[in-house]
Amino acid sequence: MHRWKRSLALPVTMVAIALGFLISLQAQTQKNVSATEQISAERMGQMKSVLLNSQAQNTKLQEDHRVLLEQLDAARKKVGTDPQLLAQLEQLQMLGGTQAVEGPGIQISIDDRNKKVLFPLSPDVIARMINTLKFAGAEAISINGQRIVGSTAIVLSGSSTILVNQVPINRAEGIPYELNAIGDQDILLDYFSKLEAPNLKQNGLMVSIARKTLRIPSYKGVYVFKQAKPLVVPEI
Amino acid sequence: MQLEKRERSLLGLASILIGFLFIILLKTQGVAGSQVALQETAVPSLIQTEQENQQFSVENEKIQLELVKYAQGQSASTLANQQVQEAKMSAGLIAVTGPGVRITLDDSKRAAIGQEDPRLFVIHEQYIREIFNALWNGGAEAIAVNGQRVTTNTEVFCSGSYIQINGTRQMPPYVIEAIGDTNTLSAALNFYGWFKLGDLQQQYGITRKIEVLKEVMIPAGKLRDYHYAEPVKEGT
Repeated sequence: MHRWKRSLALPVTMVAIALGFLISLQAQTQKNVSATEQISAERMGQMKSVLLNSQAQNTKLQEDHRVLLEQLDAARKKVGTDPQLLAQLEQLQMLGGTQAVEGPGIQISIDDRNKKVLFPLSPDVIARMINTLKFAGAEAISINGQRIVGSTAIVLSGSSTILVNQVPINRAEGIPYELNAIGDQDILLDYFSKLEAPNLKQNGLMVSIARKTLRIPSYKGVYVFKQAKPLVVPEI
Repeated sequence: MQLEKRERSLLGLASILIGFLFIILLKTQGVAGSQVALQETAVPSLIQTEQENQQFSVENEKIQLELVKYAQGQSASTLANQQVQEAKMSAGLIAVTGPGVRITLDDSKRAAIGQEDPRLFVIHEQYIREIFNALWNGGAEAIAVNGQRVTTNTEVFCSGSYIQINGTRQMPPYVIEAIGDTNTLSAALNFYGWFKLGDLQQQYGITRKIEVLKEVMIPAGKLRDYHYAEPVKEGT
């Protein structure tokens, strides 16, 4: 048999020890990882079933809601509620945002996942854009499906989650931000593209604006008045 | 350097092993990453659906109650009037009173000297918007600035020497009044922008003042006309 070189003995031993150590470490982490994988798969499964559950409930509730609204319409017609009063109610609910609306407007898509982007879209910038749309006379505004009303707060939660009406609006797929605004398309387009779009583009964000017929959902929160009392007693 | 056959085969074996380990490591890392992303998308949509469900069940209950009242033969106009009053309150068309805070912001009395930036001596529209956002986030029930009620359509837009609010020109001092739980409202103001205003007060002499009041009066907002948005029923 060939004899080993003395000089090689030490390094080879060291390498062998290190390799053995690595392999045992790997086996250990592999075990850990497969355990966490299993846990997180279970969690995902549970999460999905909860989500599916609440989505099913949602469809059912929406269906109920539609049926009830039809019944209400019929009941109102039967007893002859003043249609002018109902029209006033609808207008008030549009102002309060509790009424879903449809109409011509602009859809603004913003993508901040670009490499050139120095700062991702911040709550301040979103608030600024919404303010400009209000200035341009928008009749209804939403961002990622959240209706903007008077009491809407836009805040950062943690390092990257943006809450609008206390609901996270971040998306992991598709276009990160979609602003919808109903109103005079020419004015909205003109104001937004002149006042807001240049700043956004300068920051490296991708912005596209399209004229569209839009449907804006209602405000899903609840107006609570615990401290505030009406100053004038309403005449009923 | 010449390597012997045995050494070469050993070296080859070792490299294969190391490569194998690396691949396993990369794979486990990748799996963990994708799981996190999946959970991140599932949570917001779950919150959103749950919130919608809650709103729908509340609304459905309301409609059912109303239907019962119709069936009992209650006066239709009384019912509709009640709803109009509620909608007016939500939309901010009723003057309200209650405990709250009063915040006063004013430009500095002294002028910029030498190298000082004159923009640091005046109140910008952004400060007002930031304070609104913080107050709403702190659960404010009604807000007004310089006697202008903040509603869904209220813009706070800088137009040079004045700030446009609800289509009116407003000049400093800006007096912001909000009704709500005074403790939470004061706590909500502890944000970056508020502290920055404090620094500006110390260095440049702007005014930033907060008073906690037992009673604040907030005027009613105005109804607007809708030319583009049409009400639609949700869930159809």
